[in-house]
Amino acid sequence: MSGVIVTNLVKSFGAGDARVTVLNGTDFSAEAGKMTFLVGPSGCGKTTLISVIAAMLSVDSGAVNVFGTNPLILKPREVVRFRGETVGFVFQQFNLLPSLDAAENAAVPLIVQGMSSAKARSKACDLLALLGLGASLSKLPSQLSGGQQQRVAIARALVHEPKLIVCDEPTSSLDAASGKTVMELFSSLAVRPDRAAIVVTHDDRIYHFADRIAFMEDGRVVRTEDKTRPHVIALEPHR
Amino acid sequence: MLSIALKMLFGDKVKLLGLVAGIAFSTLLMAQQGGFFIGLISRSANFVLDARDVSIWVMDPLTETAEGPRAMRDTELNRVRGVPGILWAVPLIQATATLRTNEGRSTNAAILGLDNVSLVGINRAFVAGSPEDLRGPDAIAIDQLGFARLWPGEPIRPGKVIEINERRAVVVAITDAAPGFSAPVVVYTRLSQALDYTPGGRNRLSFVLASHAPGTNPADVGKVVTAQTGLKALTSGDFTRATIDYVIRNTGIAFSFGVVIGLGALVGILVSGLTFTLFISDNIRQFAVLKAVGTSNWRILGMVASQAVVVAFIGYGFGLGLASGFFEGVNQPLSELKGFWLPWQVAAMVAVATLVIVLLASVVSLRRVLVLDPAVVFRG
Ligand SMILES: Nc1ncnc2c1ncn2[C@@H]1O[C@H](COP(=O)(O)OP(=O)(O)OP(=O)(O)O)[C@@H](O)[C@H]1O
Ligand SMILES: [Mg+2]
Repeated sequence: MSGVIVTNLVKSFGAGDARVTVLNGTDFSAEAGKMTFLVGPSGCGKTTLISVIAAMLSVDSGAVNVFGTNPLILKPREVVRFRGETVGFVFQQFNLLPSLDAAENAAVPLIVQGMSSAKARSKACDLLALLGLGASLSKLPSQLSGGQQQRVAIARALVHEPKLIVCDEPTSSLDAASGKTVMELFSSLAVRPDRAAIVVTHDDRIYHFADRIAFMEDGRVVRTEDKTRPHVIALEPHR
Repeated sequence: MLSIALKMLFGDKVKLLGLVAGIAFSTLLMAQQGGFFIGLISRSANFVLDARDVSIWVMDPLTETAEGPRAMRDTELNRVRGVPGILWAVPLIQATATLRTNEGRSTNAAILGLDNVSLVGINRAFVAGSPEDLRGPDAIAIDQLGFARLWPGEPIRPGKVIEINERRAVVVAITDAAPGFSAPVVVYTRLSQALDYTPGGRNRLSFVLASHAPGTNPADVGKVVTAQTGLKALTSGDFTRATIDYVIRNTGIAFSFGVVIGLGALVGILVSGLTFTLFISDNIRQFAVLKAVGTSNWRILGMVASQAVVVAFIGYGFGLGLASGFFEGVNQPLSELKGFWLPWQVAAMVAVATLVIVLLASVVSLRRVLVLDPAVVFRG
């Protein structure tokens, strides 16, 4: 299987009496071409797990395989490059740069990889148009609604065509209607045969977007459930 | 990346203003005080600078400064004239005296007694009258700033009668002579008359002003003068520096200005350091995002450094503009700060100091950015 495979991950924070083991022999997988949801009670380790997968956190033991690469054994410089090229991020708090307009924000990953600003901007604009933001390219984040900001963030996560996309609570800051729009656009644009998408969420209103749901408790994935996604098939010609 | 860094900087107008204002203020303080210091200590050498045609100053071996000469015997003049390589040599007497106007106002003045024939040593920029007028009885020339002090509000023109150490003197000309460091008023007169104005007998020669013969060099001729006469002989440039050094060594002025300039730098470091740290910590999330999407620490370093340098450049520009405006404003013929200017060396030193200040300020905040864990972007 190509995609993400995590085996027997152990991660603890702190030292001595304050030491807490957050990932406790975690196994997890996310297949390419599918949207995998990661759900579970607050504090069970979801964010910690995707941070490790996205090469932002080291672990005590265990192995990670992201399309053939184990980010845990890369040199610091290679980790930075791996993150830049292989991973796209969507956060609960959007995390757009407030002084850049929508197009520049979406273009950031390309600029970081050394593409010229003009070229990066034009690629970002194409993507923003697909996300329904063609009229807001030059607006600052403060001039956009929450749903629009999250769509800019999705463009930023996709613009450099990463193999892995991780989203942490992408709809928690949004009302039901914009959350639904965001997830519809996300699932239509993000899911591709050569890409794995992992979505951490509490939001059961969007569970039906999942191909697969992994349930996590106390630092372990305890159960998985496969779903069908009729609406994705309906949206497929859109790409 | 540079454009992203600059947009971050210019996007935050309030902090940008704080940074620029802090740096501009410290630049202003350092440049203004630096220029002030240079202007003030240079005044001690104004007698030397005003005597344009003199290349060698000969003096008693114990004389250290242009404003405090030791008396020499009158015969030294002829001994200097006999040294090979000396083209001409003339006497100069320099003393302090009290001036008193008919209106009862009085002040200390430096009396420069010039060679009766050549008037060598005089500043030839005259505001009214001419050097020739000094040949009349009781004739003196006074500098225009001194005139304005003695007769405030009155039109600056010759004709006033005053007392110098209780002897009559007629102001026949007004000069543009630069004020000295210790005496605020500069009076030119003939040597014979200067002897009458100031107490003491003969043998009160202050300096022998000389010029070197064509084809020789003043420093070498000066050495010959010393060898033959035992007197100290310095080129004009060396004497200027020696005089300024003397003021720096013998007054607390360098220390007190140093303290103010140091405070200026400290204010700069504190204000820009604090604001920059605030700027960075407010933007820490943005830096975390950039790191998360694959920006290396080196590029982050470059971004922060370019933000710092741009801010330093703008702040320095404003501060230096204000400082040179200040000197432009005060350097007027009748201003107490006449002759004060902003030397380019001071501007250059302040530029370096400003850059160091801002880089120091950014180093403090940089640490936070470099150790920043990009995973914070997932936290609320
Ligand atoms: N950097 C850290 N230092 C110390 N403890 C941490 C750190 N990061 C996470 N933790 C702890 O690890 C546990 C799991 O955190 P994590 O954020 O992975 O949970 P989560 O499943 O994402 O929760 P939520 O649904 O509330 O976002 C929590 O108890 C948290 O306090
Ligand atoms: Mg979480």
